[in-house]
Amino acid sequence: MINSDVLALLTTLKMAALTTLILLILGTPLAWYLAKMRSRFKVIIEAIVALPLVLPPTVLGFYLLIAFSPQHLPGQLWQQATGQQLAFSFSAIVIGSVLYSMPFVVQPLQKAFEQLGDPLLEAGAMLGAGPMDRFFNIVLPITKASFITAASLGFAHTVGEFGVILMIGGNIPGETRVLSIALFDHVEAFDYARAHVLAISLLIGSMVLLASIYLLNNPRKKTMNKAKR
Amino acid sequence: MKLYSFTQSLTNKIVLVILSISIILSNQALSANKAEQTNTNNHPLRIAVASNFTTPLKELLIDFHQQTGIKTQIISGATGAMFIQIQHGAPFDIFLAADSIRPAKLEQQNLIIAKSRKTYALGQLALFSMNSTVSLEDLQYLSQKENQRFAIANPDTAPYGKAAKETLAHLGLWQPYQNKLVVGININQTFAQIRTQAVSNGLIANSQLVLNNLAGAVIPSDYHQPIEQQLVILKNSKNVDNAKKLSEYLLSPSVQKKIVNFGYAAIEQP
Repeated sequence: MINSDVLALLTTLKMAALTTLILLILGTPLAWYLAKMRSRFKVIIEAIVALPLVLPPTVLGFYLLIAFSPQHLPGQLWQQATGQQLAFSFSAIVIGSVLYSMPFVVQPLQKAFEQLGDPLLEAGAMLGAGPMDRFFNIVLPITKASFITAASLGFAHTVGEFGVILMIGGNIPGETRVLSIALFDHVEAFDYARAHVLAISLLIGSMVLLASIYLLNNPRKKTMNKAKR
Repeated sequence: MKLYSFTQSLTNKIVLVILSISIILSNQALSANKAEQTNTNNHPLRIAVASNFTTPLKELLIDFHQQTGIKTQIISGATGAMFIQIQHGAPFDIFLAADSIRPAKLEQQNLIIAKSRKTYALGQLALFSMNSTVSLEDLQYLSQKENQRFAIANPDTAPYGKAAKETLAHLGLWQPYQNKLVVGININQTFAQIRTQAVSNGLIANSQLVLNNLAGAVIPSDYHQPIEQQLVILKNSKNVDNAKKLSEYLLSPSVQKKIVNFGYAAIEQP
């Protein structure tokens, strides 16, 4: 048997990494669409994307729990499609995290796409690059820093998520018990020694992750390298 | 098309590699763990337990496992949150609540096995302070002291908070205490507030004190309505037989004696 805290760590990593990948895949077209959109419905979609920033996580979690339960339509559809109950499953906490961390991925990307000038893309089109070619060879290299920011914020925010998962996860070891919940459990059980260990490793891990991403992403590094040459 | 030029840059490679490695590794470890679980035992008995009873339960389960060989999995949480989760199909087998209201509601909603609702522990309230030894008379004295905060759990949602309110009302002190109260969301928060000396006095669960080798003044049980902690076996459990064994075990006289030693009151046999 794996130690229960290690199990929680693995569950957390898997959840955060999957959430980040899904958010990059779904968030990129959404951010692009929002950046280029001229309609007055734009503000409404922007507001919906930003809602998780405002809503208390437990409130969002409560409504997701209702939606995911077998008594209601989304939960029923999922059960018919996969044969498994959605609420209290690993899939549920990934879906919850995707919704909850959405603004942290979409907003930096949207800002980057908005600042991207049209002339470059037009030049690319003139030279015969198709839309996909233009996106991967012009947009992505220019907005790379924003992609890294978006991915790291999405990842870090998902690791730190608590309220939503507490409601829709049900605290099941190896399935939905993530680090933040295990930590809360230790505090509730007055097991402060284990709580401290978890808290410190969570802190150091997040620091290392964020610092290394910012280091890789630091524009000064490039100029420094050039100066060396 | 040169689609790959983006992924050729070092930073992007590193980010993508980190993401994929963490998914693959954690996935393998998790499924290995799951396989191990299903090999050694078919389904561990999943116990949802109110956080105030988690530590006593863990100790009791060691003996329970030795006697019966039944493997268990503890899910600890707030009674209110777990109640909502059970209503929405949480995969628990047996629910050890911190009160009798939620189990009774689950019974009304036909979500439990008939006649499985039983009182497994009676809570005791205690007056406690980190900085001084307290006695029952201090409740009177503290009510008159200026600038003195007093911690209780929320009387509307927490069973120990309700009992605290009833105790103060019983002594005719509910009014004088009104502007002194610091109300915790549950009894654990109240205990934490007193233990960290953020608040100097308060009414908490005696079991919390026993668990932490601390001592306070136990409130006589006739000062408030009994704090009945009840258990129920859930209808959609696939492990009813083992859940019944655990229920019988917890209610057996010898285990009840142990529960009293954890700081709960003795249940009078009908």
